[in-house]
Amino acid sequence: MSETYDFLFKFLVIGNAGTGKSCLLHQFIEKRFKDDSNHTIGVEFGSKIISVVNKFVKLQIWDTAGQERFRSVTRSYYRGAAGALLVYDITSRETYNALTNWLTDARMLASQNIVIILCGNKKDLDADREVTFLEASRFAQENELMFLETSALTGENVEEAFVQCARKILNKIESGELDPERMGSGIQYGDAALRQLRSPRRAQAESVQECGC
Amino acid sequence: MSSSYKNRIQEFKATLSEQKIDLKALRELCFSDVFTVSRVSQGSRVKEAFVRSAGRSVSDLSSSAILLNYLPPDQALWETFLTKQRDVYAQFLREMIIQPGIAKANLGVSREDVTLEDHPLNPNPDSRWNTYFKDNEVLLQIDKDVRRLYPDMAFFQRPTDFPCQLILDPQNEYETLRRRVEQTTLKAQTVNRNRSGVTNVSSPGKALNLYPSNEYEVLPNGCEAHWEVVERILFIYAKLNPGIAYVQGMNEIVGPIYYTFATDPNSQWKEHAEADTFFCFTNLMSENRDNFIKSLDDSQCGITFKMESVFSKLKEKDTELYMRLQEQNIKPQYFTFRWLTLLLSQEIIPSLMFTPSSSKRKNCRTVCSSHAPLGSASSLMIDSSAAHLARVGSSVCLCVIERLVLPSLRIFLIARHLKSLQTADECVDSFRDRETLFDSGKRISPEAARHYGRVTDLRSALPASAQSLSFIC
Repeated sequence: MSETYDFLFKFLVIGNAGTGKSCLLHQFIEKRFKDDSNHTIGVEFGSKIISVVNKFVKLQIWDTAGQERFRSVTRSYYRGAAGALLVYDITSRETYNALTNWLTDARMLASQNIVIILCGNKKDLDADREVTFLEASRFAQENELMFLETSALTGENVEEAFVQCARKILNKIESGELDPERMGSGIQYGDAALRQLRSPRRAQAESVQECGC
Repeated sequence: MSSSYKNRIQEFKATLSEQKIDLKALRELCFSDVFTVSRVSQGSRVKEAFVRSAGRSVSDLSSSAILLNYLPPDQALWETFLTKQRDVYAQFLREMIIQPGIAKANLGVSREDVTLEDHPLNPNPDSRWNTYFKDNEVLLQIDKDVRRLYPDMAFFQRPTDFPCQLILDPQNEYETLRRRVEQTTLKAQTVNRNRSGVTNVSSPGKALNLYPSNEYEVLPNGCEAHWEVVERILFIYAKLNPGIAYVQGMNEIVGPIYYTFATDPNSQWKEHAEADTFFCFTNLMSENRDNFIKSLDDSQCGITFKMESVFSKLKEKDTELYMRLQEQNIKPQYFTFRWLTLLLSQEIIPSLMFTPSSSKRKNCRTVCSSHAPLGSASSLMIDSSAAHLARVGSSVCLCVIERLVLPSLRIFLIARHLKSLQTADECVDSFRDRETLFDSGKRISPEAARHYGRVTDLRSALPASAQSLSFIC
């Protein structure tokens, strides 16, 4: 089965243990909540093709382990990531306080230009909230992150998080701020031929979507 | 082929019936068997023979216990040895779970644990209460992970036939770990005062709704689920080994060992599953624990070094495959980390031990090639063919098993394998159970597989992988 897409982006999902990283990924790909999710050891992978601003983008998502012990190993997964979901749990201040560390790691090890969206997960547990929307959105602003509160349980804002992040990367490519040809950009062309023949291929790509893929 | 089987079973029989079991010989037998025994597609005849050979109450279970260096080779010593170990474990329970707990607090008797010298608010780091609260943090982490141990199978959610009498005896009213976990999650309430001075106490309603489906309901007092036993084992281990304490993933190593003991046909073994599992786990960890220690990561015995050596082993054994992985920029860290730290317990063990019927199980290779981690690596290899993936699976996996994963695990695997042959009949009887058990093929739905880019059904590619297998062996 061949896949048609214009770009491939490497994405990371990072954040403390138990914030719901794997559940977010599962919700994004399967469109349902994973009830009996197990902890992640090392890394898990997922991928999905989404349509953003008339382009088909394949997201190759690296879902990392959150526990502190795994940090030195998970760092080796960062290289060449184009985008990241930085996840905390709105019902746990501890996971919010750890964000600065995660952020430093991501910027240092992936790339300075990595596009990061901050996700305050478990939005459905509003009664137990320990981190306000306002506080987190200030943090996001100060650190030049996009920000959404998500719920892997209900699916709220999950797709949006991935799509917004991908859209920002595409914008950066179009504005010339990001160069897909540069090594370690985390971006690949879907098909070498696409670069020259972009418009004739479009029709083909659309027919792929019609068949419900 | 069948005659070579008979021979092998004869050999097993001979080895196990010795008064003093030759450990080296048994290991060798077991090791070669991972390949030979697994080649039977219908294992019934072998199974029968094996059951007969194991007739002298020397079940394969005891052989896995021997192989994990738990039981001494001399069979005459077993009984005294086991009694002794089980007493030691009971002592651990007394020291580490019962004593520091809030015993008899609600009987109205004056409390020994709250005195002027030591009390819950004592800031002194040597305070027993301080330790108690620190332990609770570890316990909470264990609790979170162990509740969902092997979520695909119902076993760990079921009540055990042998709950720990020492702790659960209602006469003593000891504090169970279950209660400790409940107590550490304090319920917050907020006080609102309105303008007319009326105060209103409101508590967040959703707080306790952690498990929406009620799937993980707590069993009534006096009963405990298998996962609670595993929790206790891990907690005791964390207390005795403060340098490592608890790291995610240990639960998945204990799981299969405990399952082996707790499902043994012999109720003797079943009853003492907790203590025996604890010692087997400790022995296994003594070889494996460096993988869990962060500060050793970059040393000669740490995980980074081990991952690299899997790769260099692969280079030696299958250069073509190695080059291919290099070309695709696939690093050993991407897939070997979990294999090594968890001793393949997410990959192979479940399929070997939890899938009872031999026809389902097919053989080790199928499992290797159809399982998720290989799929993980595979999703990176965009243009790889199924045959190629199968080959990654079988050869990398076998490299790991053969050379790098600790010898005792290897043996453990095989012992497990034999065990599943032995109990296949019983499993057929309890057909309902079988539906809930692991099936490597079912684990990922085809739909999910497509999305995740994982290739599940590689059976068609088996000839290719078998070829590469024989090449490696």
